[in-house]
Amino acid sequence: MATMENFKCMMCGYEYQELVEEGEDKERSCPKCRSNSIRHLKNRPSGDNTDGKSKKVKQ
Amino acid sequence: MEEVSGYIGNFTITIRKKARYVDTSVCNACAECANVCPVLKPDEYQMGLSTRKAIYIPFPQAVPCSYILNMDDCLGNNPIACGKCAEACEQDAINYDDEDELIKREVGAVIVAIGLDVYDPTEMDEYGYTRYDNVITSMEFERLICAGGPTEGHFVRPSDHERPKRIGFIQCVGSRNPEIGRPYCSNICCMNTIKDTLLLADHYPDVQCSVFYQDIRAFGKSFEDMFQRSKEAGTRYIRGLPGDIEEDPETRNLTLIAENTTTGQIERHEFDMIVLSVGVVPPKDLAKISGLLTLSKTSDGFFMESHPKLKPVDAPTRGIFFAGFCEAPKDIKDSVCQAGAASSRAGALLNKGQVQVEAITSVIDADACRKCGACAPVCPYSAIKWKKGEVAVVIEAACAGCGNCGAACNFDAITMRHFTDAQYLAQIRAILAEDPQDKVFVFACNWCSYSGGDMAGISRMTYPASNRLVRTMCSARVSEEMVLEAFRCGAPVVLVSGCHYADCHYINANRQTVKRVQRLWNKLEKAGVRPERLQLEWISAAEGQKFAKVMGQMEELRKTVTKEEIEHAMEALKPKPRKAKKEKEAAAVTG
Repeated sequence: MATMENFKCMMCGYEYQELVEEGEDKERSCPKCRSNSIRHLKNRPSGDNTDGKSKKVKQ
Repeated sequence: MEEVSGYIGNFTITIRKKARYVDTSVCNACAECANVCPVLKPDEYQMGLSTRKAIYIPFPQAVPCSYILNMDDCLGNNPIACGKCAEACEQDAINYDDEDELIKREVGAVIVAIGLDVYDPTEMDEYGYTRYDNVITSMEFERLICAGGPTEGHFVRPSDHERPKRIGFIQCVGSRNPEIGRPYCSNICCMNTIKDTLLLADHYPDVQCSVFYQDIRAFGKSFEDMFQRSKEAGTRYIRGLPGDIEEDPETRNLTLIAENTTTGQIERHEFDMIVLSVGVVPPKDLAKISGLLTLSKTSDGFFMESHPKLKPVDAPTRGIFFAGFCEAPKDIKDSVCQAGAASSRAGALLNKGQVQVEAITSVIDADACRKCGACAPVCPYSAIKWKKGEVAVVIEAACAGCGNCGAACNFDAITMRHFTDAQYLAQIRAILAEDPQDKVFVFACNWCSYSGGDMAGISRMTYPASNRLVRTMCSARVSEEMVLEAFRCGAPVVLVSGCHYADCHYINANRQTVKRVQRLWNKLEKAGVRPERLQLEWISAAEGQKFAKVMGQMEELRKTVTKEEIEHAMEALKPKPRKAKKEKEAAAVTG
């Protein structure tokens, strides 16, 4: 199943979304500057300063 | 092949021998069973142009020449719904209770020769393969013109069984087409079409053939001669691939619309039949075999060899060799050459009786190993054996020396010979001992990025002199600790660079590099260090220009890093106490 994921280029700062297939093995490069320094933002909302890991919520 | 374990010289392979439901030792291929079988199915060997029974001989030259019962097509054996074949067989060769057999074999080497699949042109709707009966593929053409084919060699068109007089061939269907994800040349289609036109000219001199192409690639021995003979035989070669095909509903003739790129004119050509010269694709079993034998694939989807020039028949996993199409599209002659080379390589290995191992394998310190097993899953060669609660063990004959396990071990229990952590830490400290703020620290993999730097140098490309390269066998050898140490020593920018995904010399080890760098970006951000100071680039040995460009970018990035940022990183990334042992070792190496 494909999901829409957030990525950020660590060279030029360009943020973009891309469909990612499950188990996909693909070399990523920035659509703008072609750099390979692509950070997977793990679908966190903007302004979230966590490391992208899911947190347990206390009941 | 169901399962593979072991390593070079000591593979254990489990093979599933599928049930035939016919005893080959007594079947005399009398065909009585097939004569009474009521089931009719499209004959796969004849490309669906004729039918076969549920019990059949797969193809005329099949070995052993005995019948096989396809249980998926059979009306049923449990309970028996038909049973006519068993009644008809005088030899009592039919056994409905036959079962698959698992066979184990101990082998020293494996030759992978799983062949190819043919491209299915259904998705290229402009050619109307599924809409028009008289549009056929080159494989179907082979069956139609073959004496052993469904028409016994009488070449007729499918719609009315009349002999076609005007035949169009369209080249590069499913090849050299990035839009459908197949950018590669299939190698064999041009010569196959040329052969077909000569065959038609020989059998039916009144047939007019036209070939629509983008390039004719006739580079093998005598191939150009064949091409010229085809032209002399009257075949027209028109440069330009068609955009559309229309069918006359009455005559079922086909009109092909194409731009002749030589004249620049849009042309319409009418044909009785059109043959799509389909390309080749990696076999569908390739992914399974790849997983079983830990092999890597190129971007085209074929198996990747150990080295394209120096080890063209060796797989990256030692003891495994390639022959034929599974490695790359090639013709019969090249396939035979590669098969000969592969068998020679395997023979040499087996005759030697022992294996020489590069002295850069990993060693596990049993005392330091915490039995966590983090090293085993990251090894691309499955060279680390680990069971829960036990110390991991490296199979040195299978280890290729990428160093991925060393980078993955959180307890400093793995040492990679000649590329130890202590040596790297000592290098980092020595390089950044003076004026670290003026330096860009680069980890470059031995095979691609480091060679990319060489290429930039020998090509006389200019780039800033601020970079300091440390060579690692693989980018996956770069541990988080090594990157953090560089920042601790005051590096303003750290670059980790390796081979492109398809070029990774250690199967897929550089995927671990990506994961590690992702984790480092998160760590740096948490520590209040600008994560952009760590960069990742894939630079191949041929990309000297990219190397120079990236070094320029790194220098620009370096200039943006302030003294305060460097000092903050040095403080924020200070090592935890348990790293003391490694530090002592590094200090000892630095002397």
